[in-house]
Amino acid sequence: MTAPAVAPVTKQLSQQQVNEYADASDDHNPIHVDEAFAAASPLGGTIAHGMLVLATISEMMAASLGEAWLTNGKLKVRFRAPARTADTVTASAKALTASAKALTASATPQESADGAAYRYAVECRNQDGEVLISGTAQVAAGG
Amino acid sequence: MAAPSRTLLSDLPKGHEFSPPPFDLTREYLNAYASATRDSNTVYDETGLAPPLAVAARALGALLDEVELPPGSLHTGQEIEMRAGVPRSARLTLSGRIAQRSERGGLIIAVLQFDVTANDGTEPALTGRTTVVMRQEQERQA
Repeated sequence: MTAPAVAPVTKQLSQQQVNEYADASDDHNPIHVDEAFAAASPLGGTIAHGMLVLATISEMMAASLGEAWLTNGKLKVRFRAPARTADTVTASAKALTASAKALTASATPQESADGAAYRYAVECRNQDGEVLISGTAQVAAGG
Repeated sequence: MAAPSRTLLSDLPKGHEFSPPPFDLTREYLNAYASATRDSNTVYDETGLAPPLAVAARALGALLDEVELPPGSLHTGQEIEMRAGVPRSARLTLSGRIAQRSERGGLIIAVLQFDVTANDGTEPALTGRTTVVMRQEQERQA
């Protein structure tokens, strides 16, 4: 059982985009949108919302796996480092061995009737190769 | 009169439950979300389903609308499980709770678990777990 290939997705972030995401999500934390505040913070500048960067991974999975991702996808990640608002971020996925019982011992909706699922190691890196997000994604095989 | 300050997320105990009122997943929101994320994938239109992260972000926003995040809070982990597609115009019912809370080295680690049910369904269409790390109050005031 071979997992479908997942093509990487690259996005150029910008302060404008982060501001738009802040408006859409109603998350106006100054570390994202107030450049003067952020410059004086330990981070030294504004950063993108973690969920905005994570959206790149979900977009990548949806682009390659289609409706199955929207109805039976599962994502588990850790935010390793913040994305700066001028970063270029690339999401990528590497197929792991398909498993009849992929993430847990208990059956979940992510597993198809025979319990099979495709599992991927996913990550998002910036233009310097720094890992911003890493984790796993899973979708029912044939889902 | 100054508005009363909201409860800090860091002050809430394990087991605290959130019950925000139901809300609609509006076209306006989804358009703004798609524009902000620069996600032009046609699968959403083709299936009539919302981007899962759009639903999760909206759910998190509704949960955190009830509380205030301490300055310097960090979103360190996220789990999202799609159990069914969420229709683009769905009415969403959200329930959430603080599933885990621990204190370590001047930091509070809280895990918010949430379930999103669409259109009066009986089972969640999407579930999530969000890990937030916050500084303890005395550390913030130091």
